[in-house]
Amino acid sequence: MNIFLRELRANLKSLLIWSAIIILLIIMAVAKYSAFAGDPEMLKMLDSMPPALLDALSMRAFNLTTISGFYGVMFIYFALMAAIAAAMWGSDIISKEERDKTVEFSLVLPISRSRVITAKALAALVNSILFVLVTWGVSLLAVRSYKPDQAFYNFLALEIQAMFVIELIFLAIGLLLGCAMKQYKRSGSTAVAIILTTYFMSIMAVMNEKLDFLKYLTPFKYFDAGELFRSGQLNGAYLALSAAIIVICVAGSYWIYNKRDLYI
Amino acid sequence: MGIIEVSHLTKYYGKARGIVDVSFSEEEGEIFGFIGPNGAGKSTTIRLLLSLIHPTSGSAKVFGKDVTTHGPEIRREIGYLPSEVFYYEGMKVIDLLKYSASFYAGDHTKRLHELSEIMELELNRRISDLSYGNKKKVGIVQGLLHSPKLLFLDEPTSGLDPLMQRKFFDLIRAENARGVTVFFSSHILGEVQRLCTRVGIIREGKIAEISDIRTLQQNNYKKVGVTAAGVSPAAFDLPGVTNVQTENGTVRFFFKGDINAVLRKISGIQVTDVTIEEPTLEEIFMHYYE
Repeated sequence: MNIFLRELRANLKSLLIWSAIIILLIIMAVAKYSAFAGDPEMLKMLDSMPPALLDALSMRAFNLTTISGFYGVMFIYFALMAAIAAAMWGSDIISKEERDKTVEFSLVLPISRSRVITAKALAALVNSILFVLVTWGVSLLAVRSYKPDQAFYNFLALEIQAMFVIELIFLAIGLLLGCAMKQYKRSGSTAVAIILTTYFMSIMAVMNEKLDFLKYLTPFKYFDAGELFRSGQLNGAYLALSAAIIVICVAGSYWIYNKRDLYI
Repeated sequence: MGIIEVSHLTKYYGKARGIVDVSFSEEEGEIFGFIGPNGAGKSTTIRLLLSLIHPTSGSAKVFGKDVTTHGPEIRREIGYLPSEVFYYEGMKVIDLLKYSASFYAGDHTKRLHELSEIMELELNRRISDLSYGNKKKVGIVQGLLHSPKLLFLDEPTSGLDPLMQRKFFDLIRAENARGVTVFFSSHILGEVQRLCTRVGIIREGKIAEISDIRTLQQNNYKKVGVTAAGVSPAAFDLPGVTNVQTENGTVRFFFKGDINAVLRKISGIQVTDVTIEEPTLEEIFMHYYE
């Protein structure tokens, strides 16, 4: 419990910074939307753009002049932010003890390494949940002036759920990297590299049919905004795949961290 | 049954040698000195006993429990002062100490304040603002506040001024008088001699010698230097003199035996300077097997 509370306090600043970033992103995005809102000229212009480009930015699936369509396009950026924040929290919360050399204090306390991971992972989880809630809450406030219909609120809720699952996946991957990597200083940057790689895979998967198989490798494609909009629900098979990734990463974290030497 | 029982403990970091086939035991209430040069494997041994790292082979028991399987349980009764102290930089000293205390059963507030007073620790400063020596003091208080039964001290005096060193030694002696067992690692022979009853000497990862402190002292060499006009090595042709060197009118040698014999020789010469000092640990090692 003490570790959990201490980590929450220690990570508060990071949470505030990430929240500020996402709030800024939402405000800027919604301000941009005001230029698109209900403007048929804009639609015509978009139609004249190359389809591949629109696909890459997942703009073809949506009507950008509606708030739902606009949020559908923006989803991937929110998801990216959430993924990066969660992966950093997951990896840093373990590896920072070795980076700051505090491990010779914190792991000489009479607690098992498993309990250390549990407390720290829960603290990172709380951060991730708060981050999603901030995104949701600020979105609701930001779009109020456009008086969206119930369908938009349902779609937004779905997007937020998808964002949370993506966050959990990368939190688990970050945790595993933090627990496992010998070069603990690089666990954060490795996590971000994985995120960017999988993000580009999600773009490639759309642009080239031969690369369609990539969609199984990139969590960003598990919950494609266009698909969410059409089906109105999270895909069960991909949810199961996400759960499997999370369970494997978390179990691996415990297993490796208990077995390995701490780097002092 | 020993408080610490180490048997054939070996640790390699990949291919790099940590310690090789180390065996020794420490009885309850002892102050066991563990001396050796830097890189000999002192910290490795302690970290193995604290289960921060795992042995390549061999085993170690503390309080009769295996360190690899019973780490958390063992650590309830252990205090540890690492050679370099690192704490969460953003925390205040008092918060850090309370945080540490919260992991041990019972209320340790009184002891925390007692110890802080003895070590003249300013409780309201931030860890990041502390000097190296002051961090060390935090380490001492943190390592002792839960009244552990076994203390691991890894080069504890580095960074402490002489006054604090003395207070610290007094504190350790008082703890020992209460029955606390102390494992004292150092590369400074003098402080080991002051405090310990028994010593283990570790060199290049292997135990070179385990002996009573008295035996070690009887075997002790003195380093003698005599500066005088026209002095020659032949003037110190005595049994027990070794390693004679002459430079710039100074004769230096090691001497083992009755020091009065050397003093008599010196008193017959018109000298400008005389030094008689403890050899460094390295020098002891070099002569230990001759």
